[in-house]
Amino acid sequence: MAASVRHLLKPWTPSLCLVRWSRYNPYYLDPDPSKDACVPESEISPEQKELQELKTVRPIKAALSSDTSSSFNDPLISKFINMMMQDGNKILARGIMTQTLESIKRKQVEKYHKSPAAKKEEIECNPYTIFHLGLENCKPIIGLASVQKGGKSYQVPVPLTDNRRRFLAMKWMITECRDNKHRRTHMYEKLSQELLAAFANEGNVVKRKHDLHKMAEANRAYAHYRWW
Amino acid sequence: MKHNVIVINQLITVNNLLFSTHLLTLFLLNMNLHKLSSRLCPTVTQKFRHLHIQSSGQQLEAVAVETASAEPNPLSVFRTSEQDPAYHSERQSGQYYTFPPAHIQKLFPHGLPPRFQLQIKTFNEGCVMVRPPALELISYLKRADYSKPPLRYVLYGDTGTGKTLSLCHALHYCYTQGWLIVHIPDAHLWVKNCKELLPSSSRPSRFDQPIQASQWLKNFKITNEHFLSKIKTTQRYVWTKRESTEMGQPLGELVDQGVNRMKSSSDVVGAVLRELRLQAGGITEGEGAFKLAVAVDGVNALWGKTSLKKEDRTLCEPEELTLIHNLRKMMKNNWSGGAILTALSQTGSLFTPQSAYLPNELLGEEGFDHMEPFVPVSVSNYDEKEFESCYLYYLDRNWLQHPHSRSEEGKKELIFLSNKNPSILERLCAFL
Repeated sequence: MAASVRHLLKPWTPSLCLVRWSRYNPYYLDPDPSKDACVPESEISPEQKELQELKTVRPIKAALSSDTSSSFNDPLISKFINMMMQDGNKILARGIMTQTLESIKRKQVEKYHKSPAAKKEEIECNPYTIFHLGLENCKPIIGLASVQKGGKSYQVPVPLTDNRRRFLAMKWMITECRDNKHRRTHMYEKLSQELLAAFANEGNVVKRKHDLHKMAEANRAYAHYRWW
Repeated sequence: MKHNVIVINQLITVNNLLFSTHLLTLFLLNMNLHKLSSRLCPTVTQKFRHLHIQSSGQQLEAVAVETASAEPNPLSVFRTSEQDPAYHSERQSGQYYTFPPAHIQKLFPHGLPPRFQLQIKTFNEGCVMVRPPALELISYLKRADYSKPPLRYVLYGDTGTGKTLSLCHALHYCYTQGWLIVHIPDAHLWVKNCKELLPSSSRPSRFDQPIQASQWLKNFKITNEHFLSKIKTTQRYVWTKRESTEMGQPLGELVDQGVNRMKSSSDVVGAVLRELRLQAGGITEGEGAFKLAVAVDGVNALWGKTSLKKEDRTLCEPEELTLIHNLRKMMKNNWSGGAILTALSQTGSLFTPQSAYLPNELLGEEGFDHMEPFVPVSVSNYDEKEFESCYLYYLDRNWLQHPHSRSEEGKKELIFLSNKNPSILERLCAFL
């Protein structure tokens, strides 16, 4: 028994070497820093019970220093901060993110206080929901992949995984704000404008998503070139 | 019913004996009443049901009345209806009162901290918490003897504890009492980042700052409009070969001179301060009487170091700047008829360690000797009640949006992260 566990925990190299891969042995489990409320034994489903038992037995990877156990921790926002980060300057990236959330909230709360009582219900003031829904509106449903067939390469419409969609939405948002806006505005200002526009299904990022959809629709004929 | 009415009409048109028609109509009405009563029978039971509901409804109403009287209580916990700072006392401690918008425009064209100005813009109202340091200051102002030299009050405390806003609260009190306000929002801005440093036109070894001086004069004019025509100059001031202000001219002309001619604006500031000093205690009763409130935020800038350089690349001393020199003269208590309210500030100060907050450390030896004797007023972080009040205010203004921040645990986290420091709490709640 001990010998088999030792075999699983040996220093590990994958059979197929990838460019960016985690050096952890796949036997290790991911950490879950959130404070799970103590659910009584009867309410946990058998799968969850198995999971909990696994957690007590199996080794767990070290937690990142950006993860917190407080409920203010949001994985989507952490991912966005990591994508915005340049040269490892996480403090600057996090500062920009907080300033963005603040400026979104300021604009919305100002609108809320100045609008008549009837329209107050419609105004969304929570910057987190605006961020999440705005990013949802930027996620493409279908993507294009380049497939070579008979010497020519074709753009083939292809389904995208969830991770890929999220990545594309965030990437487009950041590049749009970096490149296509006026030079002298701050990043948080540009981001807040673009996020509010995406929340209302307008703006350049949503337009780019629509352009991708149209291209995929146009190249519908080549869909059969996909073999996966 | 219609049918019956037609019958009655026919009877009337037939022109029979009146009393017979009368009887008939009565009979018909009775019939109708009978029908109505039969129709009423089910409604009678309904009425009973209604009564039953009403009785429980009355109970509900009673309950509703109780909650209605209980509901204003959460509002009155953090807001007070007393808008006049003269009537603020310990009873309103921890509660928010609103600055009237007209007063904000007149009294604070430049006086409020930038984050507070943003908050006013976002919440559509300017609310300040009534706190013990400000109450202390106002009580001293009420009881002071204004025929004697002015008392110097120094607000000190850790960064972000609320010194500037307490100063603004006391200044609002002075404004509502009709005092003349001389407010320098941040003395640090006069000792650093000066684009134009001109050698003084009047004295050889001094340096002028025309932009800052003219900006300050414009704001001074906005705050004290009604005083400018009443106060007259006591001396002839010569600015250039062709320009001079005669004796007996209203102060408004002096101020206009400084705003229009940027070159001599720093000297104009000095002249204005001198005039006010001489005349504040002069007339005690009658038309021209006024009390002078000199409010300086970041007093430690007057005796610290500057980051300005002269043309030969040597550091400028604060003594060599006209504006600072005149302000220092103002800080001396050799005049009467007013009060000097000051606040220390480490945030904008140059070459001081971040941990310094006591008057001794920030003013330095020279500054302390100059300011002594003064009344120190300590400003500290929020206590439990004040934090609660601030939290409720943010909830009321729809500022705390994150669902976790509205829960008990989130509140504890906020207390832990901010240590009940007002400015850190404000910055935290900004993105939550």
